[in-house]
Amino acid sequence: MTALLVADGVRVFARERIVEPASLSLHPGRPFTILGETGSGKSLLAQAIMGTLPKGLRAEGSVTIAGQRLSLAVGQGHRSLWGRVISVLPQEPWLALDPTMRAREQVAEGYGFVRGLSVADAARRAQVDLANLGLADASGKLPSQLSGGMAQRVAFAAARAGGARIVIADEPTKGLDVARRDDVIALLLREVAEGGGLLTITHDLALARRMGGDLAVMLDGVIIEQGPAEEVLGDPQHAYTRRLIEADPAHWPDGQPRKAAGAPMLVAEGVGKSRGGQRLFSGLNLAVHPGEIIGVTGPSGCGKSTFGDILLRLLPPDEGNVRRAGGQPAIKFQKLYQDPPSAFPHRITLRRAILDLVKLHGLDAARIEPLMARLRLAPALLDRLPAEVSGGELQRFALLRVLLLDPVFLFADEPTSRLDLITQQEMIELLVELARERTCAVLIVSHDAELIRKVSDREIRFTGKKDLDQVEPKAA
Amino acid sequence: MMTATMSSAITASEPKRLPVGRIVGFTVLALVVLFAFLTPLVWPVDPTKQSLRNVLAAPSWSEPLGYDHLGRSMLARLAAALRLSLGLAFLSVLTAAVPGALLGILAAWKGGIVDRALSVLGDVFLALPGLLLVLMLTAIAPDSPWALYVGISLVLWIEYFRLTRATTRTLITSPAVQASRLLGFGPAYIIRRHLWPEIAPMILTVAAFGAATAIMAIAALGFVSVGVRPPTPELGLMMTELLPYYEEAPHALLQPIIAVFLLVLSLNLIAGRKAQ
Amino acid sequence: MTRVLGYRLFQALLVALTVGVLTFIMIRALPGDMAYRIAAGRYGYDMVNTDAANAVRTELGLDQGGTTALGQWFSDLVRFDLGVSVVSGEAVIDEVRHQLGHTVELALAAVLLSLLIGPPLGILAGLRPGGVIDRGLLLVSSTLRALPHFVVGLLLIIVLATGMGVLPAAGHGEPQNLILPALTLALGLAAVSSRVARDAMAGVAGSPYYAFGRTKGLSDAQVLRRHGLRNVSVPIVTYLGVQFIYLIEGVVVVETLFAWPGIGHALVHAIFARDVPVIQGTALVMGLMFVLLNALVDLACYLIDPRRQAA
Repeated sequence: MTALLVADGVRVFARERIVEPASLSLHPGRPFTILGETGSGKSLLAQAIMGTLPKGLRAEGSVTIAGQRLSLAVGQGHRSLWGRVISVLPQEPWLALDPTMRAREQVAEGYGFVRGLSVADAARRAQVDLANLGLADASGKLPSQLSGGMAQRVAFAAARAGGARIVIADEPTKGLDVARRDDVIALLLREVAEGGGLLTITHDLALARRMGGDLAVMLDGVIIEQGPAEEVLGDPQHAYTRRLIEADPAHWPDGQPRKAAGAPMLVAEGVGKSRGGQRLFSGLNLAVHPGEIIGVTGPSGCGKSTFGDILLRLLPPDEGNVRRAGGQPAIKFQKLYQDPPSAFPHRITLRRAILDLVKLHGLDAARIEPLMARLRLAPALLDRLPAEVSGGELQRFALLRVLLLDPVFLFADEPTSRLDLITQQEMIELLVELARERTCAVLIVSHDAELIRKVSDREIRFTGKKDLDQVEPKAA
Repeated sequence: MMTATMSSAITASEPKRLPVGRIVGFTVLALVVLFAFLTPLVWPVDPTKQSLRNVLAAPSWSEPLGYDHLGRSMLARLAAALRLSLGLAFLSVLTAAVPGALLGILAAWKGGIVDRALSVLGDVFLALPGLLLVLMLTAIAPDSPWALYVGISLVLWIEYFRLTRATTRTLITSPAVQASRLLGFGPAYIIRRHLWPEIAPMILTVAAFGAATAIMAIAALGFVSVGVRPPTPELGLMMTELLPYYEEAPHALLQPIIAVFLLVLSLNLIAGRKAQ
Repeated sequence: MTRVLGYRLFQALLVALTVGVLTFIMIRALPGDMAYRIAAGRYGYDMVNTDAANAVRTELGLDQGGTTALGQWFSDLVRFDLGVSVVSGEAVIDEVRHQLGHTVELALAAVLLSLLIGPPLGILAGLRPGGVIDRGLLLVSSTLRALPHFVVGLLLIIVLATGMGVLPAAGHGEPQNLILPALTLALGLAAVSSRVARDAMAGVAGSPYYAFGRTKGLSDAQVLRRHGLRNVSVPIVTYLGVQFIYLIEGVVVVETLFAWPGIGHALVHAIFARDVPVIQGTALVMGLMFVLLNALVDLACYLIDPRRQAA
């Protein structure tokens, strides 16, 4: 079997080498996946292969694409292959589509300009492609009128229209919820089944598992492990790969659900809410007991976060009411946000933000240091701005900030959806551990049903059909 | 104890580096300001005193910038004109910035009827191009710097209003402010830690642009002879007066031109490239 | 789109209201002997007597009570009866109509010229940020933006008219009379629009959709044509709306400098002579012209940007 694409000793330099020599071959009908966390260099490797490295970076080594050998140090020859032989399915397709051009035209370009068809023929072919992807109605729409999943499919059609059989998919599932993610995987696999070549870059272990084929794992610019996917994932040789697999919520040890005890301190009765004329939910009852961990799952846009905000009185319910029992003051009810950088004042240091809080409530500043140690936060981080620490660190600072107030209830709104797997596991472990220790009830929202199953005492599932299932603890 | 050490560590944190353009801008502006305000101290000559035998005399050691067409000291006149422009611009910017920014925050914070009323008020002053408004005010109160001052301030405040309103609106609904409120912080804290640090750099930019606008407007009105009344030295008026003598004394005409250029350039540099 | 045009209509009303109120205050603020002064301006100092002054007073409504006068003022305004110039005695509406033609001629020439200079240079600079064109353009546009319109005009006169003698410095009627004033305004406008175009182009050229266009297999020229120009022209045209402020302000000064017989020139003269009806007429027409130009910009944006059509 001849390879569609062979990369030989590809390395990337900024001032120093940031991607170590990497070699891989891509075969027709066999997906190749590069798995790695943010900053592992996986995207740079793909860009070097594709010839799209940003300014200031340069590559060495060679790639052979469809029998044509290109020296990356020379940096020429890619252009004539783009669209015709090899193409990119970009990250965040919403941004990769021209905001002022209708969907069909963006696809037809490939037929018109690359394959040289007439305007009418190009439009017809584009329409057929879109129809095949279930987008017949979307052909006259602008990107802003498409959902994330639809934009992904339009971008896919546009990337393929020039006739390229090799597709490099850069984080194709980023920002998509589970159902959409399955669609994209099916789409990519269909392409491979027809004999195309597919190189996927991802941080998503589940995606890598589903793609099958060959898998390379990257860490700090080095491919640490490479081989058939089932072998790499089934019998990982490198400690990091093992750690990564363990960090998948599916492999977490089962938690020990606890029965609710004590009088409920937060009660929602018959709560309902509409948004934009659409009813999200109604008649919702929930009693939160001290120290219990309640998981919430459901498809995106079903009102999970809205429900949490209503419990915190950040939003008023349209119907029903929320009561706080036991005379707890308002500051005992706190929230962790999905995107940690947006939850801190941008232009003051973390130290200032935390000291402001200490001063406002007359807290004991001596508690900060041991708590930071518990949260594995280095003291030096205090003097940075929120944008200058990693997402995982900042989310732990957010946890520190609320824990200083000894909350009785914490609404954690997708607290780890922007974090890498290993960081996510650390964060969730700390959250559960500290909440249990301080008898702080937690309402945790996640799109990851597996994660919720592992950490919560009981679950609420928003089904997206205006009602919901409440699931009691797994066998206690 | 710990609080104290932590605070001192914060003040010691590394300062933000200013972009080169801004440093140049501040330096040039400082030099112009020094020239304008130090000259009368070291060179106490009446800018309106005429001496006919010196008409259009070239610069010399005794009179570094020469004389104009009525034999008046160019040095004294240039410094006086700069003081007028700088003073009026500074006053107008200050008058516009404080209420403009406060009203912007108020509109975004209160929303509803307050917001709409203030926005309509802004639209009223935006309806006419600024210079037209100033021109009409000078027609109401002829030959008075006060008409210029009021007119320019009325034109400038809207920019502060719109900017702070837009920024406050986005910030006020952000998770960061929501989090601060949940943590128990009040409006004063939100203004001090969330709004002000975001707004302050923008205000500097808008203020620098506003001052540049004011200086150009004053000069433009002086140039078409509807601003201040002769013999008051004013940069635009000086250009009109000296234009007929360009052939004999190009140095005289070039002086107010260079002065306006340096002032506006320095202010544009301070404002930075990003904003328009 | 209806909403946008509705706002422009509202803005036009505000212009009329502001100009009306300001002129009204202007009249009330005229010192007592102003009627004499105006009469003197009209009939000559020897001919002024109480009757003439009273005639002027009546004409300007100075003898009426405040409220009546204000009501009268607005009813005239609504009927577009702008009164009679107290200096020339001609109907203001006729004078303004005549001057408007000259001003539109100048403004149109200036805008077209600026669009030929600014955006193309800006796009070239934005395609290679940090390159020679970009840095050169930054220098030139920063210099031009630090010079008021009339200074640019002055320098052009000094260099091209007085110095080299290739173009007439002032006057009207010959085609070459239009060149210097139009160029003066155009340079000021282009200094800004080139920067807007440059930043827009740099933003678009660095955007994911531009990169995607290239990896789809399009050539540089094709990507620029298909994905560059439309996306760049939206901010450029939108920004024209802001630039029209400078255009209107520039018209006032530049017309005066070049003795161009347009509205701006007339306004300055009227302010000089305290010719209140002419001040009102010219300011009103210039304000309305500003609103109309902005409405045209809205329309142009609507035609260029399919997002606005879809919204």
